[in-house]
Amino acid sequence: MNSLRLSFAYLRHKTLSTALTVTTFAAGVAMIVVLLLVNAQLQTEFANNLKGIDLVVGAKGSPMQLILSSVFHLDLPTGNIPLEAALTLGRHPMVQQAIPLSLGDNFRGYRIVGTTAAYPEHYRARLRAGGRYWKKEMEAVLGAEVAARCGLTTGDSFAGSHGLTAGGELHAQFPYTVVGVLEPTDSVLDRLVLTGMESVWYIHEHDSDHDEAEAAGEQQGQPGMPQGDDRHDGHLAPPASPAGPAGGSAARREVTSLLISYKSPLAAVGLPRLINKTTSMQAASPAFEMARLNAFMGRGTETLRYFAWFLIALAGFGIFAGLYNAMNERRYDLALMRSFGARPGKLFALMMTESLVVALVGVLLGILAGHLLVQGIATWLSSSKHIQMTGMLFLVEEAWLFPVSLAVGALAALLPAIRVYRIDIFKTLVHH
Amino acid sequence: MLEIQGLKAGYDDKVIVELPQLALPSGEHCLILGDSGSGKTTLLCTLAGLLTPVAGEITVDGQDLGALRGSALDAFRGRNIGVIYQTLHMVSALSVLENVLLAQYAAGVPQDRGKAVRLLERLGIADKRDDKPETLSQGQQQRVAIARAAINSPRIIVGDEPTSALDDRACETVLGLLLQLAAASGASLVIATHDQRIKGHFHQQIRVGGAP
Repeated sequence: MNSLRLSFAYLRHKTLSTALTVTTFAAGVAMIVVLLLVNAQLQTEFANNLKGIDLVVGAKGSPMQLILSSVFHLDLPTGNIPLEAALTLGRHPMVQQAIPLSLGDNFRGYRIVGTTAAYPEHYRARLRAGGRYWKKEMEAVLGAEVAARCGLTTGDSFAGSHGLTAGGELHAQFPYTVVGVLEPTDSVLDRLVLTGMESVWYIHEHDSDHDEAEAAGEQQGQPGMPQGDDRHDGHLAPPASPAGPAGGSAARREVTSLLISYKSPLAAVGLPRLINKTTSMQAASPAFEMARLNAFMGRGTETLRYFAWFLIALAGFGIFAGLYNAMNERRYDLALMRSFGARPGKLFALMMTESLVVALVGVLLGILAGHLLVQGIATWLSSSKHIQMTGMLFLVEEAWLFPVSLAVGALAALLPAIRVYRIDIFKTLVHH
Repeated sequence: MLEIQGLKAGYDDKVIVELPQLALPSGEHCLILGDSGSGKTTLLCTLAGLLTPVAGEITVDGQDLGALRGSALDAFRGRNIGVIYQTLHMVSALSVLENVLLAQYAAGVPQDRGKAVRLLERLGIADKRDDKPETLSQGQQQRVAIARAAINSPRIIVGDEPTSALDDRACETVLGLLLQLAAASGASLVIATHDQRIKGHFHQQIRVGGAP
């Protein structure tokens, strides 16, 4: 018999109330764990995706939409910009690097991005052994997740389909050949199919009949047509005009957006304004738009975090109420132990042990449940092809949950435990 | 060895019962008789060190209880005085055996399972050692309380009406066991009761609370 065994005996004796307290406690902890994990992973992914991109230039429209579509590949693009204008901008003295992106097709929901090798290099992506970047049209490099999920590897071929989400019309007559697969980068690259811009032009210039027909359909505005993401928003090649030759020229070619890195921070002062004022294009700052997004969402996560701490406090109060009641029922037992010679300190330790055991079991279960929950969310999200997450990530911040939880447990036990010192043995055991 | 000089026992500064003089050599027993409300429980608890005397001196084995305070008194009581309460106060979260061991845990002495089991065997309830006390009969619980009071081999075992809830046969058995245990460890029994059935076993008797 010792304090720990005695505590367990008491906890077992009132199983239901113990289970309730532990559950409440664990729920609070689990919620905090979920918030920490989701937040950390979103932040990391966001930061990775934003790394080194100072400005995004695209067609006029919502700046947030431009950032979301071009940096995170979440939203639809705002439209296209002329390749000529993009090239001119890329040569601007303030610009260190301008990476062009052409969107429009997808492979099983993963976006096919026409770009240059500068794009994967910007994210420090490395090719798996045996792979290389594209040299001519219809050669593609797969992100790690795309390759894993679709079971494709170097040498395989696949056909893209129209639009930015799965379900569009298949470009079956223009198959891509996989020439390389990227190592995981923890960025959006993992979920992209990269190819040369030439491939995208190639498909749509040779597929112009189809484009024309569809574009006409859109112009007539068929209201019942489930267009959704399947529209032409992202299409870099406009329908061939009846006047022009089917081959197309650089003058008519378009890209969806440009990812720009500045040569010096000074560029931030003038360049965005210059673009917005003097061209038909739009320049959006990822940092600014993300700050705006955080202002919307940050409030939400903050609220949730307060709520989680509230749950923990509630659980602490539960322990307090449970112990206080138990203390009342147990004053005979405690007085009895006193009469058998137990020092008050020993009984104080007993009450503390009991509360700390509850808090410890609660925090362990909570952390376990939190990670399982995030894993569940991750599994659910993995089908969305936008955000990747795992429950198997352990953060340093989680270590704080232990001292904080134990402190809540100790605090809850304090008042009942102090009452041990004031027990009147005679009045409790004999003269009641 | 229990010695009392000019004892005034009571609580909340009220004297309830007085005992001018008592000397009880080791191994000798004493009965405190009186009707309910006569103050025999108060006297018993004062002897056991659960109540501070209003006046007077109690000496157990040469130790003046009045000189001990707080946890020193708790510790002395835990090792030298075994108490059997009228309300048995079994700890329902614990098994019978654990209830007995609880007295050793509380007193901070090494826990001796073998001794506890032998004690339960002697009291005829060893087969109930893993049961919860509430599944036991009143007589069986009484024996657990006796085992718990005796486990630390105290110098004095005080009992408050240990037999009055029992039928004649159980009363004889329980009293016999108490006397046996006391004899085995050289302890003195001090029993407060109004139970006339056990009077014959005690030479020394104190009557409290006025005329018989």
